[in-house]
Amino acid sequence: MTLFHFGNCFALAYFPYFITYKCSGLSEYNAFWRCVQAGATYLFVQLCKMLFLATFFPTWEGGAGVYDFVGEFMKATVDLADLLGLHLVMSRNAGKGEYKIMVAAMGWATAELVMSRCLPLWVGARGIEFDWKYIQMSFDSNISLVHYIAMAAVVWMFTRYDLPKSFRLPVTVLLALCVYKAFLMELFVHVFLLGSWTVLLVKAVLTGAISLCSLFLFVTLVHSN
Amino acid sequence: MFEEASEVFDNMFKSSFPLTFIVFIPAVLILVSPLPAEAAHEFTVYRMQQYDLQGQPYGTRNAILNTEARTVEAEVLSRRCVIMRLADFSYDKYQKALRQSAGAVVIILPKNMSAVPQDIVQQFMELEPEMLATETIVPVYFAMEDDELMSIYTQTLTSSSSQGSLSAAEVLLHTATANGFQMVTSGAQSKAINDWAITSLEGRLAGVGGEDLPTIVVVAHYDSFGVAPWLSYGADSNGSGVSMLLELARLFSKLYTYKRTHAAYNLLFFVSGGGKFNYQGTKRWLEDNLDHTDSSLLQDNVAFVLCLDTLGNGDSLHLHVSKPPKEGTPQYALLKELEMVVLSQYPEVKFSMVHKKINLADDMLAWEHERFGIRRLPAFTLSHLPSHRLAQRSSIMDVRSVSPSSRHGAGEPPAGPHVDVKKLGRNTKVVAEALARVIYNLTDKQVQEEHLSAVVDWLTAQPRAAQLVDKDSSVVSTLEYHLGRYLKDVRRHYVKADKRDPEFVFYDQLKQTMNAYRVKPAIFDLLLAVCIAAYLGMMYLAIQNFGVLYSVVRRITQPKAKSH
Repeated sequence: MTLFHFGNCFALAYFPYFITYKCSGLSEYNAFWRCVQAGATYLFVQLCKMLFLATFFPTWEGGAGVYDFVGEFMKATVDLADLLGLHLVMSRNAGKGEYKIMVAAMGWATAELVMSRCLPLWVGARGIEFDWKYIQMSFDSNISLVHYIAMAAVVWMFTRYDLPKSFRLPVTVLLALCVYKAFLMELFVHVFLLGSWTVLLVKAVLTGAISLCSLFLFVTLVHSN
Repeated sequence: MFEEASEVFDNMFKSSFPLTFIVFIPAVLILVSPLPAEAAHEFTVYRMQQYDLQGQPYGTRNAILNTEARTVEAEVLSRRCVIMRLADFSYDKYQKALRQSAGAVVIILPKNMSAVPQDIVQQFMELEPEMLATETIVPVYFAMEDDELMSIYTQTLTSSSSQGSLSAAEVLLHTATANGFQMVTSGAQSKAINDWAITSLEGRLAGVGGEDLPTIVVVAHYDSFGVAPWLSYGADSNGSGVSMLLELARLFSKLYTYKRTHAAYNLLFFVSGGGKFNYQGTKRWLEDNLDHTDSSLLQDNVAFVLCLDTLGNGDSLHLHVSKPPKEGTPQYALLKELEMVVLSQYPEVKFSMVHKKINLADDMLAWEHERFGIRRLPAFTLSHLPSHRLAQRSSIMDVRSVSPSSRHGAGEPPAGPHVDVKKLGRNTKVVAEALARVIYNLTDKQVQEEHLSAVVDWLTAQPRAAQLVDKDSSVVSTLEYHLGRYLKDVRRHYVKADKRDPEFVFYDQLKQTMNAYRVKPAIFDLLLAVCIAAYLGMMYLAIQNFGVLYSVVRRITQPKAKSH
């Protein structure tokens, strides 16, 4: 549906990032270059993950319909590298906690947007054939933004030396949820055979829950001193 | 933010030149790359005939289309692709589409052509010549049905037929959200094929016993005709004639190997091309042999020429002549022998002679023997059809076999044109017996039905429209090989249209791949843009007022902290 449809999808995907960047006050701190560096770290981490997966994980030789729970679980565990990458970015940036979190999350999420969503949109949304999946992809990128902000916040909290003992458990649980969220989504789809719009809804709800919990914990931590 | 971005880009340009290449070359390549074709459904379509015969154009002139699909019930058909099923096809609907200058017509044929009920087959057969007779610029395509195509058809049907009967609100909603289909062909516009050579094959069995022996010529044309060249299988007309000719060649070649049965007649077998286009192959062959060479079998003593045309079915045999044979001539002997064989051995067959004078004022000659008659060679055509005007001589419904369920009981109208190998075998026996009795008084040799069946199966497995069989095609080379097994001196003969005043011109782009793309109407994009703008507006407000959420959460957690 040609360029107009591509424009629609691109606007839907990209504008929230733009608005977040503007309204969170990052532009006052000259954070553009730092976001780009965070994006480069994202690329590097993804490359390492792919090499690791290709070297150590054999291809699944079972039947076509059976879902390899264990294998996919192991693959999801490799996503722990994402957490390490975020931690690396945040530790290199000096500044307040919120600044670090926002810079890391913005850079990371923008890099993911450019790498994994721009190309399918450009190639697919410009064609004559219409498909709802491009709109869904753009919504998905919005959800990812919130997810990465929550993930960066939880990683930051995890590495604080002044984290109260009672917070350790919820923070760890949230961390695990963030990493395995993709795995959980695929599980849902396989078990319940959800339609594509339902999947998006479930993803949004899940991400909303995770981010609310992490917001609560963050506020409590920052303002309890 | 844009100043910072431009700063970054400046740094990139000044510091590292290769970096710009790494960034920009892929971007440029991606921008200019062509879009891959991704369609809802891709299928092969076959175009209606397009040819000129003796300067007169026939058929459809256009090959490309890129239009939206509708069915014939819709009110507005102009510049749309009209899809029809064979079961619903009628001449009025076709004329309606043409009158409203539709963009294209696509007719969906059922998967199993042999199971189509009789009345539809008859009706379509009668409409084929009418569709071809008027030259039209609307491209007409035929497609074979499959599940995806049927679902596209039913969706288009519901959206086309509901256009007039909904309320205004429903129509508005419908216009914005309906699913449409865009039909696009992948090929180019059709153009005349230059230098298309129609191939014919000849072979002979020489007789024994001196010079100047009489010659008997057996002729059959191997090409087929129908409303779409790629769908013309021509089982009965003229696959049956060719298989009978090959069987006769085999039988007589066996007889001629033994000295005792080697007769005093030369047998010349000619498999001609371009038969459905006014017997072009035969015409040029005759010109070459009679006008341009010094000595040829055709110039000397020709006993008669027997043309075989459509003999695969039916319980009657007609010998079509342009001049009734005189007593004492070899033609008369053959006529009498045919009558006697039929009477004594196959009483269920009705044999008759049909006399029709050659009318040179007609555009097309009636039977192949008229070409020989024009050059004053005695000739006749044997066929189970009583008239040359019957639609089943040039129809795509002429297939190898029809399923028994589509045939009605005894006493009902007969099934569509097809080949019944038993009847073909019986007819071949009649002809072989009669020929043998004329050449020498000897008993018949067995006609092998399996051989006949194998040849007919192979012939009808591919379309043999004259435009599709060029000189390298497998049909011609297999025929040549087959003739070469039994006959000597098998040679090819070509006819190309004259450059300045062509008797025939063929056109290409007869088979295309058509793509159906699922599209949404243009208003949908605007609607979507409005919704996205509203959503982004809400996002903006939410992010602006994030501080409110923050303070709410802070207030909730504050009492807990204060109490510690």
